[in-house]
Amino acid sequence: MANVTFPFPFPDHLITLMPEMIVAIMAMFLLLFDVFVAKGSKTTAYLAIATTVAAGVATWSLQGPDPLVAFYGFFVFDSFAVFSKFLIYVATALGMILSLEYMKNEKHIGEYYVLMLFAMLGMMLMVSSNNFVTMYLGLELMALCVYVLVAYQREVLRANEAALKYFILGALSSGMLLYGITFLYGVTGSFDFAVMGEKLAHAEGDATAAVMLGMVFLIAGLGFKVSMAPFHMWTPDAYEGAPTPVTAFMSVAPKVAGFVIFMRIVADLLPALQHEYQSILIGVAVLTIAVGNLAAIAQRNIKRMLAYSTVGHVGFIMMGLIAGSPAGFSGILVYLSIYLVMTMGVFAVIILMRREGIQGELLDDFAGLSKVRPGYALAMGLFMFSMAGIPFLGGFWAKYVVFMAAVEAGHLYLVLYALLFSAVGAFYYLRVVKYIYFDEERVAFNFIESRPMQATVFVTAVTIVFLGLFPDALFELCRQALVGLV
Amino acid sequence: MLETAFFYMFGGMSVLSGMGVVLARNTMHSVMFLIFCFFNASGLFFLLDAEFLGIILILIYVGAVMVLFMFVIMMLEVNAAKLREGFLQYLPLGGMIAVVLMIEFIAASSSGVFAESAMGAVTHMGQEVNNTKEIGQILYTRYLLGFEIAAIILLVALIGAVVLTIRERKDAKYQNMSAQVKVRREDRVRKVSM
Repeated sequence: MANVTFPFPFPDHLITLMPEMIVAIMAMFLLLFDVFVAKGSKTTAYLAIATTVAAGVATWSLQGPDPLVAFYGFFVFDSFAVFSKFLIYVATALGMILSLEYMKNEKHIGEYYVLMLFAMLGMMLMVSSNNFVTMYLGLELMALCVYVLVAYQREVLRANEAALKYFILGALSSGMLLYGITFLYGVTGSFDFAVMGEKLAHAEGDATAAVMLGMVFLIAGLGFKVSMAPFHMWTPDAYEGAPTPVTAFMSVAPKVAGFVIFMRIVADLLPALQHEYQSILIGVAVLTIAVGNLAAIAQRNIKRMLAYSTVGHVGFIMMGLIAGSPAGFSGILVYLSIYLVMTMGVFAVIILMRREGIQGELLDDFAGLSKVRPGYALAMGLFMFSMAGIPFLGGFWAKYVVFMAAVEAGHLYLVLYALLFSAVGAFYYLRVVKYIYFDEERVAFNFIESRPMQATVFVTAVTIVFLGLFPDALFELCRQALVGLV
Repeated sequence: MLETAFFYMFGGMSVLSGMGVVLARNTMHSVMFLIFCFFNASGLFFLLDAEFLGIILILIYVGAVMVLFMFVIMMLEVNAAKLREGFLQYLPLGGMIAVVLMIEFIAASSSGVFAESAMGAVTHMGQEVNNTKEIGQILYTRYLLGFEIAAIILLVALIGAVVLTIRERKDAKYQNMSAQVKVRREDRVRKVSM
């Protein structure tokens, strides 16, 4: 860690945080700006989307071959952070685009986009952290914003219920995470992942018990955030109760940030304990894959179904962590990128189907979609096939890379198990396709007409097909993002 | 010698006032006892040369948190008699927890981990070490990023609280600024012939 100098070395440090500062300042500006905007105007929303683009440009202009470090080593800007930041920008921007129509009747809409920007800021800080101080603060910043976003439609009862459950369990998980961190801090006397990893490798005697305890609590706390079973209880309720664009946002962006932090911790903090954490993660992954794929079958509400499907996907992503190899880590990034595109596309179609009284959330509501809107039906079909992992769509390659990495690391039985449940999962994805193509229309469809959302559906569908045919560019991109890490 | 006397004074007072918090019949008195307890704990911090913590304890806990407590208690209208119902019912469980805690404390304090020899001698830093300055320097240099993020978290908490509780009530009286600005003399003043 660099020496502390006083006064603060001004410009060198701040330039590294340019994207974060743009987001923070714009969020505060929009908070004030929104007061002067007429009700029902979408100016704030478009400015917020422009902010994510500006942050993307700033990140792009800053990136270079060498990792940058700022604030005495509390902030890193390496290629891994750059890649995950771009995933977060895309997820946030798409989440905002999906909100344009859905949230337009809310009374106070300005704060909605401000909170989304702050959540994005929290995640940006998370993926740029190599120590527990920045990581935990980023995590809390993100989590606080998402709690409020879930409860944004206050008059909806189930939104309140969902937010309360999410808040209480989230607070509990933060407590567990902090409890774990205190043990590790107590043994090592540092917050920096690399320094701690160094010291943990030499922990002996009484310290090993404390290290194990700390590690278990750390994994449990992070497991809550990325909804691993048995810590996934909040997921279905929060997904169902939240406004649909928020569901789309929170099913992608926090998972990206959570897994990035997980990878950093596994790579820097716990390399000496690989045997121990692997056995924990294998147990959790077995449970997560089973719970996610089996419970999704019983769901009639598509948001709940997708919540369990997320749990299932998290289980598959964990295979990359268990492999613990560069191939596994780049597999996780590939999976997260493709998962982002698929999920955003699915939620865009769900939001487009919202109509008076019915929100297009039950599986039955999709019946006969192919006859009314063949375009949406085709896109939805593609997303479902892709999520199920049917070959030559994006989702297939996502599963392929993590499974291959796990096989190479010698976890053949785990992969066979995951393949089995992947086949079980195909059932409930394909059931949606069955409703769309083979059932008669029950309620008259009444679609939202919104160019940006139609564009989202189109672009995501094309991306999924394109990535299915030419996945190599994405593989290479993910491999290069990890150059500094492993 | 004088220091030990002060230690027993502050320590004893905080134990007594702590008991007062639990035993007082009036909830308001409990709050007052708690404030007194904080003052004494702050004195203990001063004895340990941690003047920053001592001041912060008074400023934040006494000045802000306890005042908030008082408001809440005044608004809740707690009925002490009702709270005391079922005392006997909860006695076995509560008593058991108290006994277990007592045994834990005795075991821990007699185990030698907290013995004077294991603790290392307490030395005073002297007047030239100013821990307010030390904390300030490390907080605004090494931990500056964390400090700034914490500030943003507080801002988000503020926004969140407002977003979740704001209500536009129909019967509330609002100021319509554009109407106020546009007002003409004829709207407000009427010429009456006497």
